[in-house]
Amino acid sequence: MFPDARRDVLFPVIGSAVLFSVLVGGGMLYQTIIGNGAAERLMTTMLIDAIIVIGIQVYIGNTGILSFGHIGFGAVAGYAFAVYAVSPEEKLKRIPNAPFGLTDTQVGPTLAMLIAVVVTLVFAFIVGIGLARSGAQSGAVAPTVITLAVLFVTHEVAKSWPQLTGGNRGGVSFAIGASLDKRWPILLALFAALLGARLYGQSRSGRLATAAREDNLAARAMGVNPLVQQMTALLISVIVVSIGSSLRVWQIGSILPDRFFFDYAMLTLVMLIVGGRNSVTGAVLGVAVMTAALELARRLGQEGFEIFGIGLDQAPLDWVFRENLNSIVLGIAMVGFMIWRPSGILEDWEFDRWLYRRLDRDEVEPERLVELDEVPDLRFSASDISVSFGGFHALSGAGITAASGEVVGIIGPNGAGKTTFVNVITGMVEPTHGEFSIGDRSLTGMPSFELSRSGLVRTFQNLRMFGALTVRENVETAALVAREHRADRQLPDVDPLIREAGLWEHRDRRARELDYGNSRRLELARAAAMAPSFMLLDEPTSGMSDSESLTMIEQVRHMAATVGAGVIVIDHDLGFITGISDRIYVFDQGRVIAEGTPAEVQADPRVQAAYLGSMAGD
Amino acid sequence: MSELLQNLIDGLGRGSIYALLALGVAVVFGIMHLLNFAHGELITIPAYVTYWAFNNGWNWWTVVPLIVIVAVLSSLLIERIAFSRVRGAKDFTLLLTSFGVHFIVAAGFLLYVSASVKQIPRPTWAANTVAISAVRIELFDIVVIAVTIVVLAGTTWLLQRTMFGLALRAAAADFDTARLMGIKSDSVIRGAFALSGFLAGIAAVFWIMREGQVTPTAGIDPMLKGVLAALIGGLGSLRGAVLGGFVLGLAEVLLRSWLPIEIQNLTTGFVFVMIALLFIFRPGGLVSVPQVERV
Repeated sequence: MFPDARRDVLFPVIGSAVLFSVLVGGGMLYQTIIGNGAAERLMTTMLIDAIIVIGIQVYIGNTGILSFGHIGFGAVAGYAFAVYAVSPEEKLKRIPNAPFGLTDTQVGPTLAMLIAVVVTLVFAFIVGIGLARSGAQSGAVAPTVITLAVLFVTHEVAKSWPQLTGGNRGGVSFAIGASLDKRWPILLALFAALLGARLYGQSRSGRLATAAREDNLAARAMGVNPLVQQMTALLISVIVVSIGSSLRVWQIGSILPDRFFFDYAMLTLVMLIVGGRNSVTGAVLGVAVMTAALELARRLGQEGFEIFGIGLDQAPLDWVFRENLNSIVLGIAMVGFMIWRPSGILEDWEFDRWLYRRLDRDEVEPERLVELDEVPDLRFSASDISVSFGGFHALSGAGITAASGEVVGIIGPNGAGKTTFVNVITGMVEPTHGEFSIGDRSLTGMPSFELSRSGLVRTFQNLRMFGALTVRENVETAALVAREHRADRQLPDVDPLIREAGLWEHRDRRARELDYGNSRRLELARAAAMAPSFMLLDEPTSGMSDSESLTMIEQVRHMAATVGAGVIVIDHDLGFITGISDRIYVFDQGRVIAEGTPAEVQADPRVQAAYLGSMAGD
Repeated sequence: MSELLQNLIDGLGRGSIYALLALGVAVVFGIMHLLNFAHGELITIPAYVTYWAFNNGWNWWTVVPLIVIVAVLSSLLIERIAFSRVRGAKDFTLLLTSFGVHFIVAAGFLLYVSASVKQIPRPTWAANTVAISAVRIELFDIVVIAVTIVVLAGTTWLLQRTMFGLALRAAAADFDTARLMGIKSDSVIRGAFALSGFLAGIAAVFWIMREGQVTPTAGIDPMLKGVLAALIGGLGSLRGAVLGGFVLGLAEVLLRSWLPIEIQNLTTGFVFVMIALLFIFRPGGLVSVPQVERV
């Protein structure tokens, strides 16, 4: 579940403990200095907000999908908690006709919280299916609107179903009787939330979700099913949010529909955004910063502005400082950060990762990888593939075969159908006719993440890396998938692969900072980490100089040999293809017009005609 | 039968307002991929201006053009102050920016006007009904539908027959290519916001007449209706947005009349659930815009 016990378990535990101590310690310090009940309440509120914001971070941070709905989930949890925790006498006053005989039921707060979590999980699971169907991926708009709808539906139901919720008419609050007077349940939940969020972030599921956040298509090409990881992130985040919301209801001692609505959604989102939504440390920082800023604004609004003993109450600035000043501060913080620092103060800086890098510096350069002697003898074959778009036949009955250990080139002029062919065997385009398979396993009609799990792994013509992740994390993502789905193969270790790709010195740099050649090599290493049976390289030398192309030949051959993969390479650089391939297929007008060794193909008059066009006839 | 007909007209009346809002949302979304959560402010800002105008002796004849002008100016101003600074940013940033703008405007009214409900006199004719055999139709609905038809026809003409419309559609299809072809991005985007503001302004006139009041957070409801209708229609499709608006209006009215009286106030909730179902079975909305995954 965790790639590295020290880095992914031990350090997150230490890091969570430190963050917890800083937040709680700072809160207690403030409380002691101010020393009144209001300060104590403010700190309690901050700690509960922190739990909820951390919960939201698990979803938004790892998937990149903006959600307003988590406060709606919080409302469900809050009401479930209240309905179970309130004493029957109270309920007789507020909700005498509650459905399902709930009026007479009462359980302890812990059990009520557990029920709240379960109820909310069921609801979240259903919503999650809707999100998945709506094409959820990082930054997508439709899922965000669905989450917004969740917020409104829960609010609407809370308002309009007074038999169960007490409604909000006349400001009658749905009092739970006794409010939470001890702080330890909050502290316990906060620590659990911090730890859970950090561990999830470093876990297999968290890593795969983050990879999909960075590049959905590339993640799928590496065998990740983003929808599964998004659902996992959603459910875990909903557990945290449910616990936080139950505590919130418990602490306030009552619940009203408006407590879990737009304003609170805005508050928690701003906290998350300001600190840095892609980091748990950022979420905690954001909670602290915004709590301080809003408290300051509230005071300024209430007591007027005074500086150096000069009150501005009567001064022209007075009209600015009014009650509710904090709500406008909240809006300005959001828009301001979006304009000047959309990734928040810390971006994705994580305390425990920083600590790990400081302490675990001395890494030795790994051994070189040896080329495998024995590889399972497999055969890739695509036969009679046809694709038509309307009346246009992009491919009419093209087919190739490739064996393990072999490098097969596909070449052809523009419009020959190469790209369509690649799109078919990578699962992006459904063929109108034809089949392709590895060994006796048919791959036709598989989604792209299944294809790569079955052993056909691709690279991209236009470089698709997980930009915010480091070089090593990029390769690790593929290795994590391979460990589960390619376990029958001999899996290469991550570090040696990075070295083989010539990226050892760049291992801790973000992928988006790499130059062009290094990025290409990273894609190659990442594909190799899947232990593929066949690697499909889509124009691996596009944008490279001739000398770089030549070194690429060696690297591709060596990399493929170390994992025992066959290679199918598409390019229009004739020099590169003839240099690298054992056999070449020449495509023209949607068909294979020639096949053979590089020498045979070059001598073929049909190839010359196709390539040189009318000039050959002159 | 007559009740159904009555409901249909009522639904179309509501749907007209939603269609105007949704079209405004879709125009902006098409051009800069911004789902404008601040679209509802194009109703609250004119509404507060209306409140001020009535207190200063204006009447509906003069207020109506004022509402439209204020809506257009607000739309342009919001673009200038906030959205122009995040042009080309990730969708995530755009969504939150518009959400933040909504919040700032709402908080501004809360702080500097009042949290309480401000009343605006409804026009006297709005409550009149016209009897056609057994069906009694509100005059207001007829006016709304008629005006909407005219506005939509005008918008269609603008988009299909003018240079501005051509530029707008080209930019919506492929912004970068459109720029290379010599279309000025600034003026197209501002044009889109002006159009969006104009459509919202017309909707605002009816919205204010119907509600007869305004509060700082009154923008949430129209924003949500506009955004949802645009989404029902399939984001990015202008025709879809209009269709989505009418579908949403009809769904609301018909559902309200069919639901048993005890759960009638859950209508909005049911509408949301229906929209969720629509998405589960037709992820692209009613008029789906084909989206090609680029490699």
